[in-house]
Amino acid sequence: MDELDFSAILASSIHDIKNSLGLILSNLEDLLSNPANRIADPRQASLLQHEARRANANLNQLLVLYKLGQDQLCVNITDNHMEDFLDEIVAENRSVCETLGFQLDRRCDPELMGYFDPELVRGVLEGAIGNARRYARTQIQLNAEQADDFLVIRVEDDGAGFPAAMLAQTEYQPQTIAAATGTPGHTQLGLYFASRIAQLHRHGERYGHIRLANGHILSGGCFELWLP
Amino acid sequence: MVDLFAAKHFLIVDDFADMRAALKRILNSLGAVHIDQARHGSEAIAKMQTRPYDVVLCDYNLGPGKDGQQVLEEARVRQLLKVDSIFIMITAENSREMVMGAVEYAPDSYLSKPFTKELLQTRLIKLFERKANLRKVNQALLAKDPVAAIRELDTLIAAHPPNLGELLKLKSEICIDANRLDEAQGALEQVLAMREMPWARLGLGKIQFKRKQFTQAAETFRQLIEQERNFVAAYDWLAKTQMAQRQYAEAEETLKLAARLSPRNIQRQGLLGETALANHHPETAEAAYEHAVAMAKHSVFNHPVLFAGLAKSKAAAGKPNEALKVVEQIPKAFPDHPESRLYQAAATAIIKNRLGDQTGAQAALAEAEHALANLNETAHASKHALEMARTYAELGQEDKAARLLRQAIANNHDDEEILTQIVHLCQESRLNYDAESAIREVQGDVVRTNNEGVRLIKQGEFEAAIRLLTQAAEEMPGNKTINLNAAKALLMYMEHRGVVSDLLDQVRRYIDRVQTLAPEDWRLGEVNQRLRKLTQTQTDG
Repeated sequence: MDELDFSAILASSIHDIKNSLGLILSNLEDLLSNPANRIADPRQASLLQHEARRANANLNQLLVLYKLGQDQLCVNITDNHMEDFLDEIVAENRSVCETLGFQLDRRCDPELMGYFDPELVRGVLEGAIGNARRYARTQIQLNAEQADDFLVIRVEDDGAGFPAAMLAQTEYQPQTIAAATGTPGHTQLGLYFASRIAQLHRHGERYGHIRLANGHILSGGCFELWLP
Repeated sequence: MVDLFAAKHFLIVDDFADMRAALKRILNSLGAVHIDQARHGSEAIAKMQTRPYDVVLCDYNLGPGKDGQQVLEEARVRQLLKVDSIFIMITAENSREMVMGAVEYAPDSYLSKPFTKELLQTRLIKLFERKANLRKVNQALLAKDPVAAIRELDTLIAAHPPNLGELLKLKSEICIDANRLDEAQGALEQVLAMREMPWARLGLGKIQFKRKQFTQAAETFRQLIEQERNFVAAYDWLAKTQMAQRQYAEAEETLKLAARLSPRNIQRQGLLGETALANHHPETAEAAYEHAVAMAKHSVFNHPVLFAGLAKSKAAAGKPNEALKVVEQIPKAFPDHPESRLYQAAATAIIKNRLGDQTGAQAALAEAEHALANLNETAHASKHALEMARTYAELGQEDKAARLLRQAIANNHDDEEILTQIVHLCQESRLNYDAESAIREVQGDVVRTNNEGVRLIKQGEFEAAIRLLTQAAEEMPGNKTINLNAAKALLMYMEHRGVVSDLLDQVRRYIDRVQTLAPEDWRLGEVNQRLRKLTQTQTDG
């Protein structure tokens, strides 16, 4: 009997699940943009959209963390034009934010370049935006700037902000899954993922990290990804 | 913007009807009108044959048959895509492994599922802009005019656009291909001054390789691998360098690591099989060829040489009966392939020889000789000659092997990779032929002939130059440099003395030879341009 190739099983299941999520999302989008729609309450439909996107982001994180654990993860650093990069993330999230009643925008110097693995960083930012969607009141902002030889990408909202206990560590570094998962139903797996991805980015002796703050440009929570 | 989409022809490739319908709805809503669909890879290729598409949206996972990467490879190899066509690979998994694995044939962009309409729109508009921006560069590339391509790129680079890195990368690649190594180095160093980038470091290694600085090149690739364990291209180049350094066992180990990282690349598995077989490691060779044969079934890179390699590996591993069964599959797998007879017969000769069936081996050998003779002038193509020489060597016909190898050296005096294979072949098959000395001798002869030809042209002694170079071209019909120089001598003669139609035909024959041997050779651009100019003046006058 063949040895169970979990990596292949995972990849193939994820392929199927993603096809399903893709169809759910594109049909929801059609439904929401159709003025004649009388099947779904738009608010309910957008919540479905939000949750389907979160499921997708979680699935991505799961696969990346699995590969990281198996030492199979390739990091592919490229030079990225930040404005273009953020434009795509905004494009990907605009409709779900708008239907939930949030304004999503981005702020960034048109000359700014960043060196990182775009797929991995996209995964981190998707997670952070998904989180911001749960807490924002009216607004979510993505911004990027150069600070102290690092590229800082922020996801901010105008909600109540992170609880003090989480801010206590200014540089959030959950070392273990146990530390990250916390109370059931309220996991910080997303932060663990973000922190691991940040650490995979290295330039010389400097490593990437994440940081949580409140009230940067917007009044609420501010997730920061620092990349060397 | 709606017009932008309305004017373009789109092809959606997905095995799942609902996905195709969803993508079509998205494209419609963006203003696209011309949208075709394909349910699997073969249908996609058939559609691309009937018309060129501006945008191909292809799912990587297409069920049984070709996968998305194989569709892309076939489309590129068979030139079914225009220079400004956009091929987007849609993936369910994150695409990083594919990016790293697709060394030679990469799509213009990857999209991971699921994506929104807005993301597709943003991505496509950016890609349209990028292609429009590179239009002049691509036209120059199509005309094999690297000088013009580099000039156009330099204009773009001078404006310091957001995609500067991408442009410098393209420039370095064009320069390396066209053998403009100093310029390539300049572009790469400009990138590295901004930031250490593995692809730029790899480029510097390739330049060292091309300058035959093999020790430095190997060091560059080794350091890259140390920093980026998963950078498959660095392994490929390290293996190539180790071959050039005659470190065959080390090259095999390097290829093994690369194949483990990225097992789906057929050419790499084939190369590993070939190297391992020559190194007398039939088990490694057999495994690599098994992989290659299994994966190549739906690939444009499927070739009888893979079956022949698998058969010879099995024979060397002491399984001659299994080997014969593999060989018998060749005509079924490649009913119309011009080379299948040669590879089938050559492998059969080797297997029967191992079985002690001398009569059978000799009959198969005669069949192989016949097949080789029946292939056209490109039978001088080195891989056929090497296959035949290997067979002669196995069967103990050293004189015939040596004669073929001498010819192969003459045809490829400046092709480091083929010369290395020849030396490897002689060494591993314990053939009594001093390839290294023969290479030095032939290289000396060719260089002398060339220099003498160039000197005669400079002195205006065109007749003498033509006599010398055309004679050399008849002796070495497979030598690209000699053929190109003979064509050039004839062209220069006619530029001075007027057009002679017989000589034009002769020029075209030399150009055709090079075109068949190496369609991607940059030097073709220049001679073709001169030929066009000459025939235009003729019709004008």
